[in-house]
Amino acid sequence: MIRTIAQQSFRVARPSLRQGPLAAYRCLQTQTTTPAEALDILNKQRALRPTSPHLDIYQPQLTWYLSGLHRVTGVALGGALYALLCAYAAGPALGIHIDSTTLAHTFAAVPLVAKLPLKALVAFPFTFHAFNGVRHLVWDFTKELTVKGVYRTGYTVLGLSVLSAAVLAFI
Amino acid sequence: MFALRASRNVLKSRPVFARGLASTAEAPKVPAPRIKKFGIYRWNPDTPEKKPELKEYEVDLSQCGPMVLDALIKIKNEQDPTLTFRRSCREGICGSCAMNIEGRNTLACLCRINPDIAKEEKIYPLPHMFVVRDLVPDLTQFYKQYKSIEPYLQRDEVPADGKENLQSIADRRKLDGLYECILCACCSTSCPSYWWNQQEYLGPAVLMQAYRWMIDSRDEATAKRQQMLENSMSLYRCHTIMNCARTCPKGLNPGLAIAKIKRSMAFV
Amino acid sequence: MLRSTLRLSTPAFKAGMTPQLMMRSPIAMRNHKMFGTIPQPPGGIVGTVNDAAPVPPANPTKGSYHWTFERILVVGLIPMTVLPFATGSISPVLDATLGATLLIHSQLGFESCITDYIPKRVYGSIHNYAMYLLYGGTVVGLYGLYKLETEDVGLTGTIKKIWNA
Repeated sequence: MIRTIAQQSFRVARPSLRQGPLAAYRCLQTQTTTPAEALDILNKQRALRPTSPHLDIYQPQLTWYLSGLHRVTGVALGGALYALLCAYAAGPALGIHIDSTTLAHTFAAVPLVAKLPLKALVAFPFTFHAFNGVRHLVWDFTKELTVKGVYRTGYTVLGLSVLSAAVLAFI
Repeated sequence: MFALRASRNVLKSRPVFARGLASTAEAPKVPAPRIKKFGIYRWNPDTPEKKPELKEYEVDLSQCGPMVLDALIKIKNEQDPTLTFRRSCREGICGSCAMNIEGRNTLACLCRINPDIAKEEKIYPLPHMFVVRDLVPDLTQFYKQYKSIEPYLQRDEVPADGKENLQSIADRRKLDGLYECILCACCSTSCPSYWWNQQEYLGPAVLMQAYRWMIDSRDEATAKRQQMLENSMSLYRCHTIMNCARTCPKGLNPGLAIAKIKRSMAFV
Repeated sequence: MLRSTLRLSTPAFKAGMTPQLMMRSPIAMRNHKMFGTIPQPPGGIVGTVNDAAPVPPANPTKGSYHWTFERILVVGLIPMTVLPFATGSISPVLDATLGATLLIHSQLGFESCITDYIPKRVYGSIHNYAMYLLYGGTVVGLYGLYKLETEDVGLTGTIKKIWNA
């Protein structure tokens, strides 16, 4: 394909008296391109396209909220477990004295008013993640995997985890 | 309308019942205007430096059809001809008008306008997709993923009598709830895993179609189809979030299909 | 429409797209996310519109075997978690098994998070470093668990002690 300059490739020939004074407005500027050039133009357009909004506009639903909570509680619990075990392992090397008695003493020093809510705050991630984990296992056996089933099991898990977290906090 | 006009003059001279169906009518009541606000996502590729914005439009619901697509077409006809969106069948079978309305992915032609005029109806394109213009997402990657699962019958040999590939009624029933997918992409674009890893995770729509071919008794490439999913990304980015089943405008359940694939590939 | 698609190559467009505008345009903002990110293909599309998306080579270790192993761990974890609550305390062997299973379960969970949020195609070697850090943490954690069992009251014992303090 011959690449022509815009000025040369008028669709209509030079306006003549026969076509009248409006002929100039009917001239169309075209540019011939190779497929590679067309793809280049397309890629340039693609590069400028924005991503449509997602997290900020999607309706809060039990489905993805509980799934998000499962992950957040999992990360929190896992992080705490790693922190505890790695601190215990690396304690002597770093000079920090960590053992169960010291940790117990630190927590005993917390005033009673704060102890109860703190216990509940720590118990809830554990109970929620545990019960929701069972819910995930039920799903893995392809049971209760309908919208109704998801909501039914979801509210059950929420209720159970709040209840058991409260029970654990008072132990 | 001619009959009505004639009857007004004729009433005084002839009884109404002799005219059959024609009867007097009062001037048609103009229903009270119910103005609803629509906030619609706008972005113009001709001015790419301008950030996408939510543009407000007001529509009189008493002069508009009940579905969101009716409102969009009304806005495009009467207020802003530059508003761009995909649409075709207007009856929920083609899947063109898939968009995010009031936070949920659905088909605009099947989604009733919320009659509460105090609330603004927000309309966005399908989430976490590259926007071609206004409400039009780029579905190229979606279609490429659909092509990659080889959504066609694969057999080693033709039937012995040279006629149809026979299938029992029970086997055909297994396809119910799978074949009705219109590939509107509502489910895939509602999945947070698809948001984060669109290039590698296939998404609920495509995976449900993969399952549709896996359990088709006439198809013999089940093992090959399972092998295509034996990696960390194509299938196993699904964490059973179930946004897909919640949002499907056709009432299908991709999440269940995916769980069945996982179960068939594991030892359970 | 013909005009608008050609607009990008017209001199007017090129002149208008000053360096400042390029910096504020979406593509620049996207690559500016974090150090070490691999620039992604425009529109996320590899190949032509008619090419099927690439199918990765089959690797069941990362696929169905990984998934099954995760579920087996969880199934084993349920009775082990219930037991300390049902009975008062558990033997050190059981406590060590519970601790190790919990640690590996956490490891698999974090692996899933890394694969989701720090994918290799975007972060390249940073993904690998994150995985190495996780493995290292698990090894250190296992050693810490061993110390906790032998020198102290064990995992459930420690939690019980703190809880009842």
